Amino acid sequence: MSTELRLLAVAGIVLIAVLLGLIWKLTTGRARLIRDGKQVDLGELGAVKNGQPVVEFGERLTFLQFSSEVCSQCVQTARILGELESQSDDVLHIEVDITNRLDLANKYQVLQTPTTLILDRRGVVKSRIGGAPKSSTLETEIGSFQI
Amino acid sequence: MAQQIDPRGSRFGAAITSTLLAISVFLLLDSTTFSIGAGVFTFVTLSFAFGAVFGLSNHPYGLVFKKFVRPRLAAPEQLEDATPPRFAQAVGLFVALIGWVLQLSGVEFGFAIAAGAAFVAAFLNAAFNYCLGCQIFFGLKRLKVIR
Repeated sequence: MSTELRLLAVAGIVLIAVLLGLIWKLTTGRARLIRDGKQVDLGELGAVKNGQPVVEFGERLTFLQFSSEVCSQCVQTARILGELESQSDDVLHIEVDITNRLDLANKYQVLQTPTTLILDRRGVVKSRIGGAPKSSTLETEIGSFQI
Repeated sequence: MAQQIDPRGSRFGAAITSTLLAISVFLLLDSTTFSIGAGVFTFVTLSFAFGAVFGLSNHPYGLVFKKFVRPRLAAPEQLEDATPPRFAQAVGLFVALIGWVLQLSGVEFGFAIAAGAAFVAAFLNAAFNYCLGCQIFFGLKRLKVIR
């Protein structure tokens, strides 16, 4: 095979990788509005926070973060959402490990972790963020839930 | 808590791996340089195997990063769980082994195809900090391929 053709092949795979990376970069961490979202069933979720089962939603909004055991961005996402929670008393952050909860993964159609659902005060899903949330996205989301 | 590592270390390793894989694709595509390319591909296969078995912090690339690169960088903003990047090494090994099966069963560009596919994954990790192997882990789990 000629050198030109081989260089072209290598350039081709680099281009494919860059395009995939850019597509991922542009779509990850952004909120997608959910119309007619359903109310989350806390009992089914079985979420635990500080050793206690979670029985009510945040007064303004709830970040419901789905994580898994093998996840490079979950810890970082939990830290950021936890900080937002501690900054205001009407925001709740719940993290659920769905590694062994495939029923939840199927119900909420979680294809990647972390996936964060944003719930209103009644626990109805309002939007979802796939991947590590961008901080501008989170600010917008919290802003749109002003009481 | 699982072992924590500097995420820049795994990206550093992925940068070396993707460079080697791009070089091997170039060399593998011509019969006069095929044997050198196969040598590079063998090296990368072994490197994946080492990373999958012993983890990235014991990997030679990880040690080079620790000794020569990290001292020149600021402290990392956050650490990451060592399991996902290690699993990604196993995915890399799996892809490389498919290349071996293809090549040994007579497919002319078996190594080159596998090297190209592994390149895309390693490049996404190095350039975009996107861990394809980690997503695959969760996808397989969801499809109940692995428990």
